[in-house]
Amino acid sequence: MVLPKQLQGNLMPSEVNFLGENELVTILPRYSMKKMQLIGTKIPALRAMRREQVPLWVALILKSQDKCSIVPPKWLNVVYLKDKYDEEVRNPNQFSSLPWHWLEISKILLARAADDLTDPSHQLRSILQDLREIRLVKSRKGLKELNESNIVLNGLSLLEINELRPFVLTVMNKLRQLHDTNNEQTAADTNGNDSDGMADDDDYDDEGAYV
Amino acid sequence: MGNYYDLDDILADGEKVPCRFNMTVPGLGYLEGNPGKQIHKDSKVELPFWLAQILAICVLQEESGQSFVDIAAPEAVSTKVLNAIKTSSTSVDLHKLAPNYYKFIERWCSMYSDPDATNTVMQMLKERAFEINNYASNLTKGINNEFLYSLDEFEKKLYKQTSESNKQMRNWLRD
Repeated sequence: MVLPKQLQGNLMPSEVNFLGENELVTILPRYSMKKMQLIGTKIPALRAMRREQVPLWVALILKSQDKCSIVPPKWLNVVYLKDKYDEEVRNPNQFSSLPWHWLEISKILLARAADDLTDPSHQLRSILQDLREIRLVKSRKGLKELNESNIVLNGLSLLEINELRPFVLTVMNKLRQLHDTNNEQTAADTNGNDSDGMADDDDYDDEGAYV
Repeated sequence: MGNYYDLDDILADGEKVPCRFNMTVPGLGYLEGNPGKQIHKDSKVELPFWLAQILAICVLQEESGQSFVDIAAPEAVSTKVLNAIKTSSTSVDLHKLAPNYYKFIERWCSMYSDPDATNTVMQMLKERAFEINNYASNLTKGINNEFLYSLDEFEKKLYKQTSESNKQMRNWLRD
């Protein structure tokens, strides 16, 4: 493929950001608009001052034309996030559950619709930064527990997983290859042939190529 | 076993291992610097792993089970090095031991089952990977650090990938 290797198995943050723009948000339109059927999404008929759910990218277009205001998601306020932060501090071995796209959506809304948010943006920014840092420290710490077979990512969001992916996959692949050398040997000892082991190994190398 | 097109695989196969010949072989004298002569029984030569492996697997006579050469443990898997790894995995200079250390260990361990060595190396990989991640996520933490010079080829690749992904993330957060 023409894509550089590190982009083949992994998304760039900007691509994750793009995916996040497909999330639904509630808006308060100021104009009426007929409903629209697009290939992927349906945009409901908009009536002034009637709340509707539309994809974030539509909301941003309307917002930039001053045709709507965005109702901030229920998790995007200082009280809720502070709560989550305390939860993170209380459970040092667990991630609190945040939306799958919390980093992207909060960043977009802070940049493009700061006037619609309920709390001052500098407060939101600082609590979001705190949350991100504490979760980053936790995931770093978790990397010590890597093994060759599985990894628990409960509570992490897409962007956070995406950030870890190149590192985690490479290390786990290597650990598995090292681990397999033991199994291969025992398989060869018991069966008297190691053709199975060799075939498996080829598969693994194919996988490895995408990482 | 490895990937045919992977240069590191080829280099790992070329890693030298000490061997002892169990018989006199005519014409192989060039291996110890005597072109055209024979190589004597019991002479010790360093052979690349791909050659040593074949010679050590091929059995001379069915009943004796003896092969052309006996392979001695190279430095990379010697007790001394394994102990050093157990003591402090991050201060071992892997690049000096073997530029493709992990690949070589894979090959060595799938030939001679050595769970102890495998476990030691896996533990080392975990510890070193953690350290690599630390360096990769922190640009200010000295690029010229000694630890970064001791990485083997696989670890260098890991370092590059990780710092690349961290850089992208930082750039995205900034703009």
